[in-house]
Amino acid sequence: MDILANIALGLETALTPVNLMYCFFGVFVGTLIGVLPGLGALAAISMLFPLTFHLEPTTALIMLAGIYYGTAYGGSTASILLNIPGTTSSAVTCLDGYPMAQQGRAGAALAMTAVGSFYGGIFGILVLSIFTPVVSAWALSFGSAEYFALMLLGLVAASAISDASVVKGLAMVCLGVLLATVGMDPQSGTARFTFGSLSVLDGLSISALAMGLFGVSEIISSIRRTESRRLDPKAINMRSLMPTRDDFRRSWMPMLRGSTIGSIFGTLPGTGPTVAAFVSYGLEKRVAAEPERFGKGAIEGVVAPESANNAADQTAFIPTLSLGIPGSATMALMIGALMVHGIHPGPKLVSDHPDLFWGLIMSFWVGNLLLVILNLPLIGLWVRLLSVPYHLLYPAILMFVCIGAYSVHYSAFDVMVVMGFGILGYAMRIFGMPAAPLLLGFVLGPLIEQHFRRAMVLARGDFWSMIERPITGVVLVITALLLVWSIWAGVRAQRRQKARMALAESED
Amino acid sequence: MNTKLMSSAILAFVVAGGAAMAQTFPDKPVTIIVPYSGGGSTDLIGRQLAHELQEIWGQPVVAENRAGAGSMIGTAYLSQSAPDGYTLLVNTPAMATAPAVQKDLPFDVMTDITPIGMVATSPYMAVAGAAVNATTFAEFIDEAKARPMFFATAGVGTSSHFTEELLIQQSGITADIVHFSSGGDAQVNLMGGHADVYISNTASVMPYVNNGQVKALVILGSDRYELLPDVEASAEAGVAGIDVDSWVGLFGPGDMDPALVEKINADLHTALASESFQKVLADNFVLAGNDTAAEFKDQVYSEIDLWKKLAEERGIVAQ
Repeated sequence: MDILANIALGLETALTPVNLMYCFFGVFVGTLIGVLPGLGALAAISMLFPLTFHLEPTTALIMLAGIYYGTAYGGSTASILLNIPGTTSSAVTCLDGYPMAQQGRAGAALAMTAVGSFYGGIFGILVLSIFTPVVSAWALSFGSAEYFALMLLGLVAASAISDASVVKGLAMVCLGVLLATVGMDPQSGTARFTFGSLSVLDGLSISALAMGLFGVSEIISSIRRTESRRLDPKAINMRSLMPTRDDFRRSWMPMLRGSTIGSIFGTLPGTGPTVAAFVSYGLEKRVAAEPERFGKGAIEGVVAPESANNAADQTAFIPTLSLGIPGSATMALMIGALMVHGIHPGPKLVSDHPDLFWGLIMSFWVGNLLLVILNLPLIGLWVRLLSVPYHLLYPAILMFVCIGAYSVHYSAFDVMVVMGFGILGYAMRIFGMPAAPLLLGFVLGPLIEQHFRRAMVLARGDFWSMIERPITGVVLVITALLLVWSIWAGVRAQRRQKARMALAESED
Repeated sequence: MNTKLMSSAILAFVVAGGAAMAQTFPDKPVTIIVPYSGGGSTDLIGRQLAHELQEIWGQPVVAENRAGAGSMIGTAYLSQSAPDGYTLLVNTPAMATAPAVQKDLPFDVMTDITPIGMVATSPYMAVAGAAVNATTFAEFIDEAKARPMFFATAGVGTSSHFTEELLIQQSGITADIVHFSSGGDAQVNLMGGHADVYISNTASVMPYVNNGQVKALVILGSDRYELLPDVEASAEAGVAGIDVDSWVGLFGPGDMDPALVEKINADLHTALASESFQKVLADNFVLAGNDTAAEFKDQVYSEIDLWKKLAEERGIVAQ
């Protein structure tokens, strides 16, 4: 059995004391960075990158990867407890995680997040270890036309994400798309809405936008609250962590669907965990029997995006390792860590360096296990970190947000962007405008534009030949059906409500 | 004291002061800006250079990534730094191509940047994807005339964009340019057969060539490349007029003291001669630079002219 020999080789590599130690170090730092709002995986990995020059390539990658998927675990903690996403990919988790915390069910939300993350991670690793060669060939067959169709499907599927009125939700998606047009036009090079400034030529930073809209605006609005909110670390102990049987019953299907969606989006370069989290949340809300529970503390709305972003974090390694193609800036650093040692990832990596490839995959299992330990029994530690009195915690969070925004590009401008979006986010709260659809539009809008325009160039302007591509055609048809169905369902719900109101009036 | 005497006295003082500065340089930490994000080939060479110069100078030399706007964010930062040698920058021919398309640069490359020396150089190489049948460059030109090809770039205004326009112009074919978000992205689309040709420096394309993911098509230039003698040169198939090479160069802010520039150029060559640097260069299929600051400056300036002219001829400049 080849696979058994490979697993044995991998475990042998992953379980050496040095690798085990760096794996633990990686996931610990990852969780810490994830819990602290503002600092993300990219900032943490950039800072520790020079350290890897002195390590064995396998050890270096194990550590960097640990930070990467560790942040996905930790990121949800701040989302649930503070309504501030620890990482961009856990922004969706705020929608239902924070209401759960307000209902005193923070423990259950955190526990189910850890379970969902673990499940998503394990699912992603399975896909990674079994399907790497197949998936990378499959990912290659995706051209811009296919990406365009898939992103459009994502936008339609997830557009019902907010709890507010449809009009407000759509308005925010559009605002997000518009904000994303700032920067250099991807096909002609024209500077759009940059007003002559170099700082926005690459567009507004997504992490700055997310931090401002969710984090800073939460902090501003908390100042107005008269009651002093304070997390009680003792309230979250092992017993309060126990989810109810109902939580489990509701969660296993979302976990399964979330992991599948996450695995698919993770393998496609350029999409990643944030899109996966959004789409899986949108899907859960659509298939739910009582969609009105979402946004008010539905466990499905916490588990699905967390399974999805963890699965995506793992499968993101497929194009990175098997094609040598980084799907994100973080993955580019992983490749960089290997290139320093003269290893160029590609199709030959698995055969040329089996100890590296299988050692890394086995370290993912080990790392995910360590993360469950770090996040379940030790959750009190992370909660305590966030349970400092608010008047001390919030300035600290603001500081971390500023450091995080600054550290990515050493750009003071990005800090200004965070603050600007903080004020916008606060204004949006006052007017009851949901922030999540704005982020969704901001993430997907430019992807849809880029891929559509590129696909049109590649089709030499012939839109129909683009639709005739089998994957594109099928996905576009599904998108159209979903759109028609949502409109129909919306109209039907409205009619029922009218009928009910009419009935109530006639009874009066 | 007449003015002439006074000005020569001042001149003598300035020259002496400059020489003294060059002699004591560096007496505090030096920053080398890498205007690209971590992990790429320029980052790799920039970090190795920082490491080697630290050994030579006995002062900390820190590589700092200031990525964005096709390297112009980091370059703009350099142009605003003091020309004392403590802030340096490594950059690629983007130094010459980006100004040809970006209209809002807050600096002028000719006056606000001082070229110090070439770190590494290699020719540009064209690679072909899964949809291309040709195995030689002459066959490729025939194929491209029969079936108009898609040339994939790493983005508008990058050196891949400019060299591809140059190749299309000089070989007399018609082709469409399609822009991707990075060189890696472009090459994935070559592998999938969505686009046909990509041009970049050898360090960027050779990993994929060695993995059998893309085909080495041609080296741009009149001669074959000594590190890759099996790949034919574009001139062999009768396509002339393409004489540009890719490079990584070391730059300082504008108006640097010539004595200081000479000193850093000399230390650069000492660093390049070290065994560890030679290995990094060989791993990336590049050769060490060996020209003086003046020669390097001439090359950068002539490329700025070349790309500006091409941008106008081919309508590259976005309006």
